[in-house]
Amino acid sequence: MADDHPEDTTGAARRKGEADAWGAFGLIISGVLVWGLIGGLVGAWLDSALPVMVGLLLGMGGGLYLVWFRYGRA
Amino acid sequence: MTTWSIAAEGFQSPGPADFVYPPLFGEGTFFTKPMLITVLGSVAVAVFFYLAARRAQRVPGKLQYAGESAYGFVRNSIALDSIGKEGIKYVPYLATLFFFLAALNISGIIPVLQFPATSRIAFPLFLAVVSCVIFNYVGIRRAHGVGRYFKQMMFPAGIPWPVYILLAPIEFVSTIIIRPLTLTLRLTFNMFAGHLVLVLFILGGEYLVFEYSGVVGILAGSISLLGSIVLTFFEGFVQLLQAYVFTLLSALYIGGALADEH
Repeated sequence: MADDHPEDTTGAARRKGEADAWGAFGLIISGVLVWGLIGGLVGAWLDSALPVMVGLLLGMGGGLYLVWFRYGRA
Repeated sequence: MTTWSIAAEGFQSPGPADFVYPPLFGEGTFFTKPMLITVLGSVAVAVFFYLAARRAQRVPGKLQYAGESAYGFVRNSIALDSIGKEGIKYVPYLATLFFFLAALNISGIIPVLQFPATSRIAFPLFLAVVSCVIFNYVGIRRAHGVGRYFKQMMFPAGIPWPVYILLAPIEFVSTIIIRPLTLTLRLTFNMFAGHLVLVLFILGGEYLVFEYSGVVGILAGSISLLGSIVLTFFEGFVQLLQAYVFTLLSALYIGGALADEH
């Protein structure tokens, strides 16, 4: 792909940007979804609300970390 | 479309019920208007490209030129731009996807049809699943094996191993579930909302002019009806744009699967 020209805002580079935006969105959503669900299940098992919160925060952190890891590094 | 009827007690605002159609040929049959639109759309696209490609000449006629421009748009601006040289292999799928979606979307503003078949979630969902299967298959082929494909996807190099426990499920869900889901929801609800807005402006305007009446009713209703004309053009733009976005993201996912070889 011809996306090694950061100043090129048309064509391939812009499309890459669009895909990255949706990718970042998907990662954060998945993080919250997966670990929130796991936290919810653990919470239902332990009869406590705390694991849900821990799961949501962990998932959000993991999602944000992946966004940085995939798209944020130089 | 029983909910469209204006009850004596006042205006019934359009809602999700307007998207449910009874069978066209009476009770006990299954063929509904969205299905008819799907058949008509497919036939229209097929006939257009058949006529455009028939007796292709070196100096193209008007129809051949139109067909070639349309196909060339998908080839150059979607496939080659977002996948690269290898994208040429996927042009047939992407072109079919784009023109099928464009036909089903644009049926929302074609008189008489006036319903975007893609606002029924089954159409976008099925196409999103097809795109999902294709880009995963392409990725598995490129990684030479299912295990290696998922390993590359879920365990990117350069992360300390305990963190994988946290990240691997996120990567998996975002690629296998969230991607097709966002494709589906983005298209479905753009079409759903657009159709709802048009129905509201047109029926609301009609109600104001003919039922509510009076100076206020006729004035407000006229504005609403004029607005519906503007909104119809805007909807046409959105419908083509959403067909493009769906196809573009499918192409980008294929391109991403081809590029992932760490």
